[in-house]
Amino acid sequence: MLDVAESPDSADSRASGRQSGLRLPARPTLIRAGVIVVLLVFVLLGLPQLLSLYYVDAMTQVAVYAMVALGLGVLVGRVGLMSLGQVAVLAIGAWSAARLLFGTGQPYPLVLLEAGLVTMILGTVLLLPALRLRGLYLALITLMLAGAVTVVLATLNFPNGGRGFTGYNGNQTHIPPIRRPSIATSDPAYFRYAVVVAVVMFALVAVHIRTRPGRAWAAIRQSEPAALAVGINTTAYKLWAVALASFVTGVAGGVYAGAVHYLYSIDFAAYTSITILAVVLMGGAYNLWGAVVAGLLMQLLPALLQNWGVSNDWLTILFGIGVVQVLTTAPRGLADQFPKDMAKLGKLLLGLVRRPVPAVPETGGETP
Amino acid sequence: MPSWQNFQPFIVTGLALGGVYALSGVGLVVLYQATGVVYLALGAVGAMGALITYSLISGGMAHWLAWLVCLAFSGAVTLAYGMIFGPLLAKRDPLVKATATLGLLLVLFGAMDLLWTTSGGAVRSLTFPTDGHGFSLGHVTINWTQVIGLGVGVAITAGTAAFLRFTKLGTAMRALANDREITATLGVPVRRVEAAAWLGCGILAGIAGLLLADMVALDATTLTFLVISSLAAALIARLRSVTLTFGAALLVGLVQNMLVPIPALTSYSNMAPFVLAAVALLLLSRRRVIGLSREEA
Repeated sequence: MLDVAESPDSADSRASGRQSGLRLPARPTLIRAGVIVVLLVFVLLGLPQLLSLYYVDAMTQVAVYAMVALGLGVLVGRVGLMSLGQVAVLAIGAWSAARLLFGTGQPYPLVLLEAGLVTMILGTVLLLPALRLRGLYLALITLMLAGAVTVVLATLNFPNGGRGFTGYNGNQTHIPPIRRPSIATSDPAYFRYAVVVAVVMFALVAVHIRTRPGRAWAAIRQSEPAALAVGINTTAYKLWAVALASFVTGVAGGVYAGAVHYLYSIDFAAYTSITILAVVLMGGAYNLWGAVVAGLLMQLLPALLQNWGVSNDWLTILFGIGVVQVLTTAPRGLADQFPKDMAKLGKLLLGLVRRPVPAVPETGGETP
Repeated sequence: MPSWQNFQPFIVTGLALGGVYALSGVGLVVLYQATGVVYLALGAVGAMGALITYSLISGGMAHWLAWLVCLAFSGAVTLAYGMIFGPLLAKRDPLVKATATLGLLLVLFGAMDLLWTTSGGAVRSLTFPTDGHGFSLGHVTINWTQVIGLGVGVAITAGTAAFLRFTKLGTAMRALANDREITATLGVPVRRVEAAAWLGCGILAGIAGLLLADMVALDATTLTFLVISSLAAALIARLRSVTLTFGAALLVGLVQNMLVPIPALTSYSNMAPFVLAAVALLLLSRRRVIGLSREEA
C-alpha cells in the first residue's frame, strides 16, 4: 500500500497508548470538543456579520472545497488512493443536483442526498473494475476516467432549464439560475447552510474513521496482505471508502450548484483536480482539520490575492512548491506540522524566558 | 457513416500526432525504467519551451536557434528536477515520485500563465517553415511537418531501442530497471545513468512541445495536458516496451482522429486516449493476484 507518511498510525497509537486504561473522555478531548463548538458558533453567527459579501461567497466556496478535500482525504489518507480526478466527481454531483433542482420541486436537502447517492453509485461503478489495480496505476486510471467524464460532461452540457435527460436547451441568453433552498436564498444564509452541510459530512466521515470501517482502512493501509489474512474483506472496504468519498464529493457538488447559480463545464477544468490533490497533501490527508486547511488554501487565498491585486498564478506556483515540500519533508501536512512547529517555537521562547533550564526531560508525560 | 475519402485526411493527422505521442511516450518509458518516475510534468516542460521559442522568434531570433533554446530549456529543467528531487525521493513509492512531478507541473503552469497571459485573447501560434510545403497522395495533401512528426517518432523509437540494446549506457539503464541495488553493487554509476535518462527525457519533451505547438495549438493548458495522450500510450505498453509504446501511440493518435469525421462521435473523439488506456490497464491487470510487491500495480 501507499506510504505518504512513513507510518501514519504509529504516532497516534503511541499517543493513545499512554492514556489506555482511562475510559472517561480525557481532558484534551473535552477541550477539543469545546474549541470546535466555539469555532462553529463563531463561523455560523459571527463570520457572516464581519465579512463583506465578497468574502462570504469565498467562504461558501471554502465550505464546498473543504468537503471535496474531505472526500479526497478519505481516499488518500485511509486507503492510499491518490485520485487525480476529483473535479470530475464534483462535476457529476453538481450536474445531478442541477438536473434535479430544475426538473423537480424537491426540498434542497433531499436533492443533496440524491446527488450524493447518484455520484456515489457512478463513482463506485467506474472504479469497481479498477480496484484490482494498485498504487501508481490506480492513480493514473483515475486521471484517465476523469478525463473521459470531463469530455462527456462538456458534450452533454450542464442543465440550464431545458427538457429531456440532459436538461440543456442550447439557449445562451435567458438561463434561469439554479435555485437555492427557500431558507437560504441570500448569500450569508447560504453560507451558513453550506457550513451546516459540511459539518454533517465531516461528522459522517469522523464516525466512519472511529468505527469498524476506519479500523479496517487502517489495517489495509498498513499491509493489504496482512489485512486480508485477518479476515478483512479488503475489496469491500476499499469500495466503501470510494463510495463514501464519492458521496461526500457529490453532496459538495450539490452545494456548489446552488452557490454559483450557473454551471459551465469550463469551471471543472482538469488541472483543478491537480490543485485539489496539492492542497489536500499540503493540508494533510490524515487529519480532518487538513481538509479545512485545504479548503482555505484552495478558495480563501485566491480571494485574498484577487483583492490585493496579486495574480492567482503565484498561488499555483506556491502549491507546486508545496506539493514537493510536503512529499519530501513533511508528509503529514500543515494541519499536523503547524501545531508541532508552534509547540517547538513555544518551548524555545519559554526556554529563553526561563534561563535556568530544568533538568526534567521536556517531553513530559512519562512521569509515573 | 462518412465515406472512406472523408477519413483519409484524418489518417494523416492521426499518424502525425501519433508519431509525436510516441516521441514523448518513449521519453516517459525510458525515464520510468531508469528512475521509477512517471514524469507527469513532461507536457508542461514542453509547453514552456515552446512558449519561450515563440517569444524568441517574435523577438527576431533565428528559428533554429530558438528551437535549440527550447530543447536546452526543457532538458535543463528536467535534469535539474531529477538531480535535486530524484535522490530525495529515491526510496519512496512510485506513486509518491509521480505525484511530486505534479508539483513541477503546477509551478511551470503558474509561471506560464503569469508570463504569457492568456486573458488578452490574442492567439499565439508557432509555425514551421515546413507547414506550407507538402505533396499530394491520392486526395490528401500532406505537409512536411506531418511527415516530420511521424518520422521523428519512428527515428526516436528506433534510436532509443537500439541505444538501450547496444550501448553501455543503455545496458546500464536496463539493468537499473531490473534491480537498482544489484546494479549499484556492480559498480554502475547510478546517479550518472539517471542523469542521462532525465536529460534525454527532457529533450524529448522539448521536441514534442515544439511539434505539438505547431500541430495542435500553442496554449499552455492544451500542451500541458497532452501529456495524458502520451501517457496513455506508455500505459498501454505497461511502461515497459519502447516499441509497444510506439505502436500504442500510433493507435491512440489514429483512433482519436478517425472519430472526428463520424458526426455522432466527433465531440467524444478526445475521450479516445483515456478510454483506450483505461481499457488496456484493466485488461492487462485482470489476472493479477495480491502480492507484497510495492513496485507493481
